[in-house]
Amino acid sequence: MLLVLDILTTAAILFVVSIGLLAVFGVLKIINFAHGAWLTIGAYCAVVAAKLGLNPWAALPLAFVVGGALGGLTELFIIRPLYRRPLDAILATWGLGIVIGQLITLGFGRDVQMTPNLVSGTVEIFGADYSAYRLATLGAAIVIGVAFALTIGGTRLGLSARAVIMNETLARGLGIDTARVRLFTFMMGAGLAALAGVLLTPLTSVDPNMGVGWLIGAFMLVMVADASFLALGVACLVFGAAQVLVSTFVSPILGSIAIAVLAALVLRVSPKGFSRA
Amino acid sequence: MADAARKVEAPAGGDLVLEGVTSGYGAVSVVKGVSLRVAPGEIVALLGKNGMGKTTLLKTILGMTPLSGGAIAVDGASVAGLSPAKLVALGVGYAPQELALFQDLSIRDNLRLALSSDKRLPEALERVFGHFPFLADRLSQHAGTLSGGEQKMLILARALMLKPRLLLIDEISEGLQPSVVDRIATALAHERAASGASMLIVEQNLDFALRVADRWAVLKLGEIDDEGGVDETARSRALAHLGV
Repeated sequence: MLLVLDILTTAAILFVVSIGLLAVFGVLKIINFAHGAWLTIGAYCAVVAAKLGLNPWAALPLAFVVGGALGGLTELFIIRPLYRRPLDAILATWGLGIVIGQLITLGFGRDVQMTPNLVSGTVEIFGADYSAYRLATLGAAIVIGVAFALTIGGTRLGLSARAVIMNETLARGLGIDTARVRLFTFMMGAGLAALAGVLLTPLTSVDPNMGVGWLIGAFMLVMVADASFLALGVACLVFGAAQVLVSTFVSPILGSIAIAVLAALVLRVSPKGFSRA
Repeated sequence: MADAARKVEAPAGGDLVLEGVTSGYGAVSVVKGVSLRVAPGEIVALLGKNGMGKTTLLKTILGMTPLSGGAIAVDGASVAGLSPAKLVALGVGYAPQELALFQDLSIRDNLRLALSSDKRLPEALERVFGHFPFLADRLSQHAGTLSGGEQKMLILARALMLKPRLLLIDEISEGLQPSVVDRIATALAHERAASGASMLIVEQNLDFALRVADRWAVLKLGEIDDEGGVDETARSRALAHLGV
C-alpha cells in the first residue's frame, strides 16, 4: 500500500512540476527552458516569505503572483519579438534560465537555503506511518489539476487557448487576440511553475540550480503528453510508477533516469506519445 | 432569389473599398493592384480559378496577409495593418474555406468563438438557429462529427454570430450538394435583408455566385480581369473568363 502511495504522490509531484510547461508548450508551441528557473524563483519566494516571518502558506500565492508577473514581462519583452523564430525563442528561454540562476546566486549566494515545512509529521495509513507532506502534495496536485481543467474548460480564456492550440491561424482569423492568449498562458505557466517551486521546498534542497533536474523530467513528460492535459496525467502516473518501482527494486540511481529512458522509448514507438492526436 | 430578400430598407452594411491592393508571400505578389468596392448592403462575388489570388485577397483584407501596396478602407477609414481582432471588432466577419472549424470543439464552442464575450451569446445563437435550425439540437456535438454540408453551414453560422456589417466568405459552396447550396443562398439573402450586411463572396460556383450577388468580378493571376452587374450577360461573360 505504501508503494501505491509513493507512486501516487510521485506522480502528483511530477504533475505539479510539469503542468505550467505543458500550458506554455500547448499554446506558444515552444518549450520554455526557463521553466526550471521559474521553479527556483518560486522556491526562493518561500525563502523570502520565511525571512519576512510570513506564514509558510503565504509563499504559495506570493510565488504564483511573482512568477506570473515575471512571466508576463518575459513574454512581452523576450518571447513576443521572437514569435516568428521559434528556435530562437527556445534558445532565449534557455539563456534566460541561466541569467535567472545567476541573479539568484548574486542575491542569495550559492548556499542551500532552508524553508519551513508547509506540513510536518506523518499520518498513519494502513498501519504504517506516511509523510503527511507527500499526501498534501497529492491534494495540491488534485486542486491544481481541477483548477487548471476548469480554467481551460470553463472560461473564455480557456476556450480561446484551446482554439489557439488546435489552429492558431483560424483562431486569429476569427478575431481572437492570440497575442493576449499567449501572454496570459505564459503568465499562468510561469505562475504554476513558481507555485510548484514552493511545493518542492520540503522535498528538495533549495539552491540556485535546483530547477535544472526538474526541468528535464518535466520536459520529457510534456513531450510524451504532446500538449494534452489528460495525457500529462497518464504520463505522470506511468512514469512516476516506473521511477518509484525502479528506485525501490533496482537502484535509486537508475530510478532517477527512468523517466528519461521511458520517454525516449515511448516517443520512439509513438511519436505523439500518450496523446490521441 | 426573392426581390424582398435583395432589397435592403436601411443598409447598415460596411463600405469596403480596395484601391490598387497588392499582396503576397515574401517577394512573390499574388494579388496585383486590385481595385474593388463593396458598397453598403451589396453582395459582390469574386470569381476565379484556383490559385488566382482570391483567398489571398480575403486574407489581405482581414490583415492576415501583409499588404505590400495600395489601400484598404472600411467606411472610409483605412484598415491596412489592423489585426484581424480589430477588424472583427469593426464588424468584419470571415467564413474561411479550409480547416475552418475546430473539429474537437463542440458546435456551441465553435459558435462562441465568434464573439468576444458570452453576453450576446443567447441572442446570437437564436439568430443563427433561424438560418440553420439543425444546430439548435446538436450544440454539444463535436464539429468534426458533422457532415461536410453541415460543417459548411456551421462555418457560415459562426460568421453570422457576430451580426457582421461586412462578411468575407471563401468558397462556401465548394463540394456541396444543391440542397445545401440552396440553404446557404437563402441564409445569405435573409441575413442581408435583415441586417443590411455587405458581403464579398469568393466563389467558383457560378450559379450560386450569380444567384446571391449584385455584382461580380473575375480575378485572374492576381488582377481583376473583368467585372459587371448581375444581368443577362453576366453568365456568358464570366464563363468566358473562367473557361468552364
